[in-house]
Amino acid sequence: MRVIGPVESCRGFGLQDHLCWVHGEPCEYRPRLTEFFSDGLERGLRVAYLGSAGELREHLGRFVDVGPLQAREAIQVISFDEIYGAGRPVDPAKVIKKYAAATQQALTDGYQGLRVSADVTDLVRAPEQHDAFARCEFLLERYSSRHPLSAMCEYRLDLGDAVTQFACLHAAVPEGLTPFQVFACDDGAVGLLGDFDVACQTAFERAMRRIHPAPDDSCLVFDMSAVRYMDHRALLTLGAFAQRCQVPVVVRSMPPIVRRVAGVLGLEHLGGVHLEGS
Amino acid sequence: MRTGAARGYAGHFHEAGFYGSDAEFRALIVPFVEEGIAAGEPVIVGYDDRKNALVRSWLTDPSPVTFLADKSVYAAPARAIAAYRRLFEFHAALGAGQIRVTGEVPHPGNGGRFDGWDRYEAAVNTVWEDFPVWGLCLYDTATAPAAVLDVAERTHPRIVAPSGAHRANDRFQGISVFEALPIVPDPLEKTRPMIELADRSAAEARLALAQIGEGRIAGPILEDLLIGVTEAVSNALLHGHGSVTVRIWAAADRIVINVHDQGRGPADPLAGLVPASSNIPDAGLGLWLIHQLDIDVALNQADDGFTVRLRGGTTSG
Repeated sequence: MRVIGPVESCRGFGLQDHLCWVHGEPCEYRPRLTEFFSDGLERGLRVAYLGSAGELREHLGRFVDVGPLQAREAIQVISFDEIYGAGRPVDPAKVIKKYAAATQQALTDGYQGLRVSADVTDLVRAPEQHDAFARCEFLLERYSSRHPLSAMCEYRLDLGDAVTQFACLHAAVPEGLTPFQVFACDDGAVGLLGDFDVACQTAFERAMRRIHPAPDDSCLVFDMSAVRYMDHRALLTLGAFAQRCQVPVVVRSMPPIVRRVAGVLGLEHLGGVHLEGS
Repeated sequence: MRTGAARGYAGHFHEAGFYGSDAEFRALIVPFVEEGIAAGEPVIVGYDDRKNALVRSWLTDPSPVTFLADKSVYAAPARAIAAYRRLFEFHAALGAGQIRVTGEVPHPGNGGRFDGWDRYEAAVNTVWEDFPVWGLCLYDTATAPAAVLDVAERTHPRIVAPSGAHRANDRFQGISVFEALPIVPDPLEKTRPMIELADRSAAEARLALAQIGEGRIAGPILEDLLIGVTEAVSNALLHGHGSVTVRIWAAADRIVINVHDQGRGPADPLAGLVPASSNIPDAGLGLWLIHQLDIDVALNQADDGFTVRLRGGTTSG
C-alpha cells in the first residue's frame, strides 16, 4: 500500500512510494537519506544515490559503512547526467525509461526493487526547466505506483514557491508544504487530494497543464475520494483539461459538496468531465 | 412578429400592472393571455395556486398555457433568472415570435420575502434583452407593502392599467441608477459573533464554519454555506481591498455569516444575478454560484466596505 498524503517523517516507506522533502541546509537532508536508504536496504532493495560518490560518503559515511555495500552494488551512485541527460530541459520520457531500466536491473540482480534519492534542486533552477521536470515527477509518480521503484526527491527551500509545483506531484509530502496533491492511484487513476480553492488555483492550473495520459491510456480517470474541497475555479480547470485531453476523462468518487458545486455550474460547462456512478 | 402592445419592440418588454381586486386582476391578465393564445405565442403564467386556478377558470381554453406550479422557480432571484432563461431559450429555439410571461415575485403580501427581488425586477430589464419576451408583472395593491409597490414602479419601464391603457412609466430607473432597498440587518448581526477571522484563507473559514454548523443545521444547508463562504472569501481576496474579515453567528437552528472587505464591491449592478457580465474571464461566476444555492444571500455596499451576508437554517427577518 503506497503512502498517500501529508507525512511527518520519512520512515516506513514501501517499495512503491514517491515522496518529496525540502531542506534548508544539506545537513538536514543527511539523516533523512540515511533513514530512507537504511529502510530500503532492510527491505532488500537496491538503493541508488544520484550525485557523486563523494557526496554519498559525505551524507552517509558517519552512519553507514558505504564501501562494502557499494562494492556489491547494494548501494549505487548514479550521475545526474546518466538519468537526466546532459541537456536541459530534461526529456521526461527518456528519464522514465532510464528509471525503468534501473529498476528492472535491480530486480534482475535479485533485489526487491530500486530505491533512489537525490537533491534535484539544481535541475530546476531555471524557470524554463520547470515544465519538463514537473512532467518527469508526474511520470515517476505513475511509474512508482505500479513498479517497485521508491524515490525521495529533495528540494532546497531557496527555490521558494517553486518547490510547491513539484511537491504537489508526489504521493507523500511533508505536512503543510502544499494544500493539494495530484498522485497516482494503484489502478492507474490520477488521485486528487486536499483543498482545491483560490489559495492554490494557479498551482493547480499549472499542474494540470503538465500531466498527460500515458500512450496506452484509453481514458484518464480522476479519483476525488481524497478531495476535501474543490471550488468552481478548480472544477473549470478540470473541465478545461478534459476538453483538451486526447482521451476521455472520467471523474470518480466526487465528494457530495463538490458534486453540489458541479451540479450548480451545470456539467455542460465542465467540458466533458463525465461523472462515474452519479 | 410580435403582437399587442409590444409590437415592433425588440427585447424584453417589461410591464407592471396594479390591481386591488380579483376583477381588476382579471381585467389585466385575461386580455394578455387570450391575445397571446390567439396569436399562437407561448404564454407562461406563474402565480400562487389560487390565482392560477382563477386564471384557468377565466380563459376560454387554458390548454395552450404553461402554468408554473413549481414554486422553486421563485426560490431565489438568480435561480428565477436562470430558470426563465432556459424556458425562453426553449421557445426561441422553436421559433416563437414572442413569449408572454406573467407572474408575481415573492413579497410579504403573498407570504414570501421580498429580499433580493428588488434587484431581480431591475435586472430583468437587461438580462433577457436577447429574447422577444413580454413580461407582465401584476402587483396586488391590497396586500403588497408600500416599499414593494414603490420598487415595482421604479423597475418597470411601462405600466398597464386595468382599463387596458398602456403607458410609459416616468418613475422608471434603469439598472445603472436603480436604488435597491437597504439590507435589513439580521438580529444576530447585532450580537457578538461566535467567531471572527481576519485575513484567513477560504480553507480556514470552511473549517471554522464546519465546526460551528455541525449538528446545528441540516447537512445540505451547511454544505451550501461552506460553498458560499468559500466563494465569498475567494472573491474578497481576489477582487476586494484591505483586510478580509469573516464573522459567523449561530443560533440554535441557523447560521449567519458576513464576509467583509474594505473595497466598494462589484461595480456591476447585475453581480450575482447572471453568471458573468464583465469581460474579465471567470469574474462574477462565484457570486452567481452563491446566489444559486439554497441559502439567503445579500450584498451590502456601504461606506466601510462590501459585505456578502449568507444565512442558512431557519431564516429570520
